[in-house]
Amino acid sequence: MLNFSILTKYFDLYFQGFLTTIEVSIIGLICSFILGVIVAVMRIAPLRILNWIGTCFVEFIRNIPLILIVFFFYYGLSNYINLSGFAAGTIGLTIYTAAFIAEAVRAGIQSVDKGQMEAARSSGLTYIQAMKHIVLPQAIKIVIPPIGNQFINLVKNSSILGLVAGMELMYFADYVHEKTWISFDTYIFAALFYLVLTIPLSFFVNRSEKRLARSY
Amino acid sequence: MISFRNVNKHYGSFHVLKDISLEVNQGEVVVVIGPSGSGKSTMLRCINRLETITDGELVVGGIQVHSKQTDINDLRKNIGMVFQHFNLYPHKTVLENITLAPIKALGQDDKKAHETAMFYLEKVGIPEKANSYPSQLSGGQQQRVAIARGLAMKPKVMLFDEPTSALDPEMIGEVLEVMKQLAIEGMTMVVVTHEMGFAREVANRVVFMDEGEIVEEGKPAEFFAHPQAKRAQLFLKRVLNH
Repeated sequence: MLNFSILTKYFDLYFQGFLTTIEVSIIGLICSFILGVIVAVMRIAPLRILNWIGTCFVEFIRNIPLILIVFFFYYGLSNYINLSGFAAGTIGLTIYTAAFIAEAVRAGIQSVDKGQMEAARSSGLTYIQAMKHIVLPQAIKIVIPPIGNQFINLVKNSSILGLVAGMELMYFADYVHEKTWISFDTYIFAALFYLVLTIPLSFFVNRSEKRLARSY
Repeated sequence: MISFRNVNKHYGSFHVLKDISLEVNQGEVVVVIGPSGSGKSTMLRCINRLETITDGELVVGGIQVHSKQTDINDLRKNIGMVFQHFNLYPHKTVLENITLAPIKALGQDDKKAHETAMFYLEKVGIPEKANSYPSQLSGGQQQRVAIARGLAMKPKVMLFDEPTSALDPEMIGEVLEVMKQLAIEGMTMVVVTHEMGFAREVANRVVFMDEGEIVEEGKPAEFFAHPQAKRAQLFLKRVLNH
């Protein structure tokens, strides 16, 4: 039987961490989505220098561990700028997730029929307008499932902040563990808090996938 | 209105357009026919720079289409295009399909754009479909919406790229009827098609292309009755006798 006294005694800490995890996730979600879409468009825009920058970003970031990116912002930059654990972690997480979202969005954009871009461009819309009004809205529908999965990964990956004093759920779980030394129960409770976030998110992703499939 | 002067286009080593020279005057309806792969659609798509040319000169309404100084978006506002597969925007209603470019590219206000859109939907005979999505329309209706979408920009030229090739036979007539009406009203049109009946009846001039070249051009009555070039004779024999 789980030792619920840990949960009741340290609920405030768990809950504070939980709120910070939500905060990191929401900031990371919005920023990595915007950054991801920008990088995706760069990768396919009709301008070679942009393609090159986009590709470098994606390949570089995707192929190094998340913890290295976070440590770079936390320790690596400490001689120049002093970022809090929260800031360094959120920036690292955003950049890391953006690389994966960029790939998903790029695949989505490329699966939209070329005739859509041609029709929009031949009516006098600029490349950006055609992307914004015609191609991206259709691509988003295709990339909802993979992006949803990236968001769920983002919530879980936010636990990396625990290693740079980011004051989120994992950080406080470690703290409670050090106080109590009841490892199993302490981390089970932390896992439950993550599930409270990820299960509804996963449900929401499935639902919006179905709803979008019916939308036109 | 449109003039090709010794235009060539290569895809790598493939010579798609060979020394094309062609004049299309204002109010004229030019129908381009020829076997598949003869370069008809490519030639059409050069007119609004969906395809680039390798050399030669292409002028539309006094503007060099392929010059670096040309604002291609400005030029395209004056050239409507209708595609084989309609290319309507599936996530937008019929009305939104038509008003998008007038609002975003011409800067019209919503009310004016709506009125214009409804005017052209009436013209192509389906005002009741304004709030439907393209997927709820038949192929013929979709293509008529695409024509209305082109017209709503009040272009000086309309380009048609095999507008009836993707349609079921019973829907071809309704689209050709709309195009014929446009021709009567004096729209400058370049039409790539396999509809010989349309070419014969509506065209001011027929252009026959084969293997990237303009082989023959002339008035439809003369062209269909007495084609001069051997290749044109063969082609007509094949398409008319079946």
